[in-house]
Amino acid sequence: MPKTLEQPAAASAVLETPILRCQGIRRAFRTGQTESEVLRHVDLTLKAGEFVAIEGRSGSGKSTLLHILGTLDAADEGFVEFDGQNLSEMSGRDRCRVRNTQFGFVFQFYHLLPELNVMENTLLAPMIELSWLNFRGRRAELRARAEELLTTLGLSHRLKHKVTVLSGGERQRVAIARALMNNPRILFADEPTGNLDFETGQQIMGVFGKLHAEKGQTIVLVTHDRGLARQADRVLVLKDGKLEKPVGPIG
Amino acid sequence: MYKLLLILKYLRKRRIAWVALLAVTLCTTMVLVVISVMGGWLEMFEHSFQGLTGDVIVESAQDSLTGFPHYQEMISEMLKLPSVEAAVPTIHTFGIINFASPSRPNVYTVGVQVMGLPIDQIGTVNRFPESLYLQHNQYLDEAKAETDPKKKQEWLDMAAAGAKQPSFKLPLPPQVYKEGWNGRGSDPSTYPGMIAGSAVLGIHRNSEGETVNRSPELYRLHINLTTIAIRPGERSVDPNDKNETSYWLADDSHTGMWQYDNSFVYVPFDRLQNDLAMGQSETEDAVTHQKHIEPSRTSDIHVKIKPGYDLAQAGKDVEAVCVRVIDSHAREDDFKYEPPTVETWRQKQHVWIDAIQNEKLLTVILFGIISLVAIFLVFCIFYMIVMEKTKDIGIIKSVGATPGGVAQIFLGYGLAIGLVGSGLGWLCSYLIVHNINELHAWLGEIFHVQIWNPEVYLFDKIPNTMNIRDIAIIIPIAVVSSVLGALIPAWRASQMHPVESLRWE
Repeated sequence: MPKTLEQPAAASAVLETPILRCQGIRRAFRTGQTESEVLRHVDLTLKAGEFVAIEGRSGSGKSTLLHILGTLDAADEGFVEFDGQNLSEMSGRDRCRVRNTQFGFVFQFYHLLPELNVMENTLLAPMIELSWLNFRGRRAELRARAEELLTTLGLSHRLKHKVTVLSGGERQRVAIARALMNNPRILFADEPTGNLDFETGQQIMGVFGKLHAEKGQTIVLVTHDRGLARQADRVLVLKDGKLEKPVGPIG
Repeated sequence: MYKLLLILKYLRKRRIAWVALLAVTLCTTMVLVVISVMGGWLEMFEHSFQGLTGDVIVESAQDSLTGFPHYQEMISEMLKLPSVEAAVPTIHTFGIINFASPSRPNVYTVGVQVMGLPIDQIGTVNRFPESLYLQHNQYLDEAKAETDPKKKQEWLDMAAAGAKQPSFKLPLPPQVYKEGWNGRGSDPSTYPGMIAGSAVLGIHRNSEGETVNRSPELYRLHINLTTIAIRPGERSVDPNDKNETSYWLADDSHTGMWQYDNSFVYVPFDRLQNDLAMGQSETEDAVTHQKHIEPSRTSDIHVKIKPGYDLAQAGKDVEAVCVRVIDSHAREDDFKYEPPTVETWRQKQHVWIDAIQNEKLLTVILFGIISLVAIFLVFCIFYMIVMEKTKDIGIIKSVGATPGGVAQIFLGYGLAIGLVGSGLGWLCSYLIVHNINELHAWLGEIFHVQIWNPEVYLFDKIPNTMNIRDIAIIIPIAVVSSVLGALIPAWRASQMHPVESLRWE
């Protein structure tokens, strides 16, 4: 899978071509003899530059759907297409490469590596992508980009700090910087404010909004908070394992 | 890139991994120390024994003290063989010496093994002259202490000259030996010289590694050696064949082999041959009054084989010569003598060498098994680290790391622990092995235990050299073991599901 590092086209402009499409997604989990079906024939089409929120109650399967869309998990049935290519037909190595170069993830619990400092955590994606020699060759350029991202996110004074000494909001901003480091085509955010207070959560949502508005970043946001979901272009509700259009006002 | 970074970070920050590092270090140290000491012991034994005997040894059948005749003819025949470089006769017997030394003021009587040497020739078949203190090693000690290169070379030249032309010459002027002589009896300054094993004289190394009891007074020692002649064909020993000879100490020999240094004295070959009635003699048959010439005898011939010749084949050739010579004189000798036994130095010492080799192998196997514990420890610790780092594994997989990449982190981590651990083990073992005698002395002082008993291990010093071949084998084994210990945890880490790993608590 060739890497595409181009910036998303026009700021805030939604292109008609679908960047991600899933159809007939089914996912069930088995505990002993009991099988619980979390996703039932989910269909979704995501256009480039779109900001989509998937809303649902806890345990409704929205994180599972995000993991399947982001190749972190596999569906029992159905398929996911990225840029017209069926992800389940790709080799494991190619899927890892798509995840590394085309997708970015922001999780509720930040998921930063405690042994690495802020800069090293941010550089994780290019470090995984590039060989030691290539990384050494592009080190200055990559560090400059990481520094620029962290500065934009208000972390310029924290570059060499251990992530364990940062506040929740700062950690989440490092996680965003890490997710954006390789210029992902799609940013997946799984309850990104779930572990933060209201004010910090709003700041993080402000970052997403700005990314979408200014850079045209395609974002898939998963949240149980209807108030956060309304900040997206499009809101989908996951209920009984199926995606539905929201009923009633969402904002 | 991320693999190297994480390996280095984990190595520095995961203290639990230091336990694995310590285990690899300890096991490498243990195996290298044991293998070095055992291997060094075997090497020292082979080197020392080879230094004290010829490559091929001809000795009386069944070690009989009566010896065998026609040895001069045997030697001249042996020298015609293309493989033989030199051949020297020696006499080996048992005796009693009594003397009073500065370290043993009371008259000291002890049983010794006596060796009669043609000392001017012995250097052509072995390295015995290099064991002599006055004639060789004292000059080496001086050379070692000398800083001026010219003088150092002079000392070295003197040491070389001493080893080339050793003698039983008395070290002090004749008048010293004449002190107290009243003119009656034989002139003491004409007594022959004797070389004694250093430990026979009480010379030894103390716990600081210094040589003690090597006093100048030793060379004024008057030593009486009592031997008894064993005549061929006689069933009982004639008490009249007892012989007591006075010697002065000419030198002391330190071969490093306790067995020799603690029980051997060396005297001139002709003198001992005469004392043991092994020289040529004329006998008369009591009934027929027929006169018979009894040929002179010796108990051993040490043969030096030229380099490049097969020792076993050379031994067979020498044996054929001995059998031929004995057979050719069988009638005139009244069929009294059996052909002597011929063995290579390795065959002669095979019981010892085999035992040491087996002991070395057994010890290495035992310590190898102990080292398996290190692999198990690495496995347990790595398994623990993988469990502890489950979430990290999920994180790096979510950022795009492949299962192979994740496995490489832990394999690389194991490799790093193996490399650092075995490197430290090498360093520790080097320090221990090179200071093992000092450590042994120190432990002896603290715990009053003598682990290395020279009477058991034959040498007064523990071998303190490391064989590069052993290091080249042990270090890679330690590294591979460490990687093996990390193999299953690495595989497990690579197979972890990213979502499950991220949810791991």
